[in-house]
Amino acid sequence: MKNLKLYFYLLLLTAVFSACKPEIHTPAPQQGSADFSRYIAVGNSLTAGYADGGLYLEGQQNSYPSIIAKQMITAGGAQTFNQPLFSQSQANGSGYLKLTGFDSNGSPVTASVTTNLAITGVTNIPNFGNVTTYTKYTGDIDNYGVPGIKLLHIKVPQYGNLNGFFERLLPGAEGTHTTTYLDFISAKPFTFFSNWLGNNDALGYATSGGAGDVLTDKAVFNALYTELINTLTKTGAKGVCATIPDVTAIPYFNTVTPALILAGVQKANASVQAIYVNAKSNTDVTSTTYAARPATASDLITLTFPTSKIGQPVASAGNLPYGLTPLTPIENQYVLDANEVSIVKDYVTAYNNTIKTVAASKNIAVADMYTFLNDVKAHGLLVDGVSLNSAYISGGLFSLDGVHLTPRGYAVVANQFIKAINTQYNANIPQVSVGAYNGVKFP
Amino acid sequence: MRRLLLLLLALVPAIAFAQGFQVNLGGQKQIGMGHTGTGLVQDGASIFFNPGAVAMLPENSIQAGISPLFFKSAFNPSGSNTVYHNANKVATPFNAYAVWGPKNGFWKFGLGVYTPFGGLTDWGNSWSGKYVLESLNLKAIYVQPTISIRLANWVSIGGGFVYNHGSVDLTRAIPVSGADGQDGQAQLKGGGNGYGWNAGVFFKATGFTAGVSYRSKVKTTIDGGDAFFTVPASLQANFPQPNTFTASIPLPSTTSVGFGIYPTNKLTLALDVNYVHWSVYKVLAFDYAKNTSTLQDTYSPRNYKDAASFRVGGQYKTTDKLALRVGGGYALTSVRDGYVTPEAPDANRYYFTAGAGYKLSRHFDIDASFEFEKVLSRNQTNIESNLSGTFNTQVYIPGVALTYHW
Repeated sequence: MKNLKLYFYLLLLTAVFSACKPEIHTPAPQQGSADFSRYIAVGNSLTAGYADGGLYLEGQQNSYPSIIAKQMITAGGAQTFNQPLFSQSQANGSGYLKLTGFDSNGSPVTASVTTNLAITGVTNIPNFGNVTTYTKYTGDIDNYGVPGIKLLHIKVPQYGNLNGFFERLLPGAEGTHTTTYLDFISAKPFTFFSNWLGNNDALGYATSGGAGDVLTDKAVFNALYTELINTLTKTGAKGVCATIPDVTAIPYFNTVTPALILAGVQKANASVQAIYVNAKSNTDVTSTTYAARPATASDLITLTFPTSKIGQPVASAGNLPYGLTPLTPIENQYVLDANEVSIVKDYVTAYNNTIKTVAASKNIAVADMYTFLNDVKAHGLLVDGVSLNSAYISGGLFSLDGVHLTPRGYAVVANQFIKAINTQYNANIPQVSVGAYNGVKFP
Repeated sequence: MRRLLLLLLALVPAIAFAQGFQVNLGGQKQIGMGHTGTGLVQDGASIFFNPGAVAMLPENSIQAGISPLFFKSAFNPSGSNTVYHNANKVATPFNAYAVWGPKNGFWKFGLGVYTPFGGLTDWGNSWSGKYVLESLNLKAIYVQPTISIRLANWVSIGGGFVYNHGSVDLTRAIPVSGADGQDGQAQLKGGGNGYGWNAGVFFKATGFTAGVSYRSKVKTTIDGGDAFFTVPASLQANFPQPNTFTASIPLPSTTSVGFGIYPTNKLTLALDVNYVHWSVYKVLAFDYAKNTSTLQDTYSPRNYKDAASFRVGGQYKTTDKLALRVGGGYALTSVRDGYVTPEAPDANRYYFTAGAGYKLSRHFDIDASFEFEKVLSRNQTNIESNLSGTFNTQVYIPGVALTYHW
């Protein structure tokens, strides 16, 4: 009996001490001079939560706008942030790449996810080509991220017919759309926006090795960006714009290098001295003069280059080995050569000057992703004991497509936006814990 | 031919432990008096506080005490409004002493078993510092045979040999996600031994006592501890299993000076100053038996500085049977800015103590103690992990001891 009483007191004591937790008084979240009651996100694939070469539910759920919106709740933001999510039964959306393992060289092996897709068909649009369409989304939208969209497209009435990711947001049948992106995003009132448009105006050119796309003219970019911000701010909304990353800061261009290819060739044949690329002869963007030359470290090879082509006999050039002679260089579309790199850098710098100037003229916050990602590339990023960097897969930030981010990468980006907003508007949106979001998933 | 770069994961389990981990819970009477005892002769706990005083003990005794330790820590990451709390886990520092010598003899032999260093912290696997530390259970158990000799009525000396058994059980998340998005896990678990000594001298005058004691550094090496890594199957080769590790923890030496004054025969006042030579703790190195490009040996700077603590206490004997005690103190941190880690987020600290002793019978005493310790709030960015935020910690330590003396 006496023992029982003792145990009771001990239990009571344990309960009492367990309840006494130390307090830390955190600064109260606040919106400052901004108003987060309806936040909308304007942008492309990065804004949509695109990852691993596709748009799918899990990526959407970890999009940086959704992370920002969640953090905004305590600072006067809306309880819900509507995204055009794919349904659970079509959770894999457009399909995406999955890491399935590593081969005997330690190189990653990926496979496409092809089940539970939201694809409804392929429609041929005259004078354009085939457009893949997806199951329509009909609910409210606050995240207007459309994969593939350029700033160049925001006033094109027919654009809804050319981009399946935009098409699924619009009412009406494919082929009949006439609503511009700019009208679509500004149709309903909003109080705050984030805008990360412009990447594809440079990226499309870069990822196609300067062969499959053209850079948006600098003056056109400036005019459209000015109009975009004028539209977004005309009812008094405040916002944040992001600069465009240096395309050479992403693993898409830094993983397969000429030196790596050469080393692989020399393993089989030590006498090979160089690999050849078909490179632009000057930095004139309008010029189409290309010539074969030995690759240097300044030439960037795309992540999608099938290295198995190297050394294969090229029938049209007397069966000379691919990539190893001036007559059989690596084709233009796989190489962003040194001159093309200069051109892209020049355009991105001009675009970013526009973004910063226009934003400043409207007192809009700027999240300088160009500087941030260049810094990550140069120095890495150490957060809460995790070492992040711009390396493919192991870096933790970039997803399997080498261009878009992992959930962890998007969380890092969200914090950059939050910091810029807090500084500009004297707000206090709490930052997110980067460790709560995963990097590349390993099997 | 290799399509893409070899996977080079820069995952360095730079794991840290042994911090401001001094427990100081040497005996219930002394805890009640603010951890003073170097300059007093109270009971068998002199084996810990000042082996020089053991020969002055009037009786032989055997005693044991336990001090359940509630370590409550909170962390607020910089720029966030989230506050993480460590889990409710109770560490159980204990002390046990036996003192024997011939009646009225000039010498006494003592044996002490106590836990001068330790830590039990569990932050869980979903807090923002999980890649630095999830949980740590560090124990050091000292066993100390002691001999003490009374040189004259006013002075005695003593010394002992210290054997330490240390153990560590540490878990930490590894930043690689499995197919389900869950982190990898590292667990380092092992035990090891160390040796040291201590010595002290005790002076006694009318209405005044004083003591000086020294406990040596005890370098404890954990050799062949188990290193478990739970990672996705495709990365298992980067974290070879089974694996073992070796690490050394230098438990620092401590110099103490203490005084006792006796204004009346019912009242005892005591003052202690401790100086802990934490500066021996320069670096924490982990040496894995099997290394890979991912799993490298680690070498983490700690660069602790020596730190002092100041303690005062009093005891009032209300009757022959009941003694009441109070005390308090202030301890300076040994951890420099930039080196604070979540195992025992250290900062300057103050504490208050209270206690009571009761004679149950001619030979049998019970002592109870309570301590509240406040580790001052400290905003830090760790230079090694960049874990940035504010730690705030408080500690509650009730305790009870039984003594049989003859």
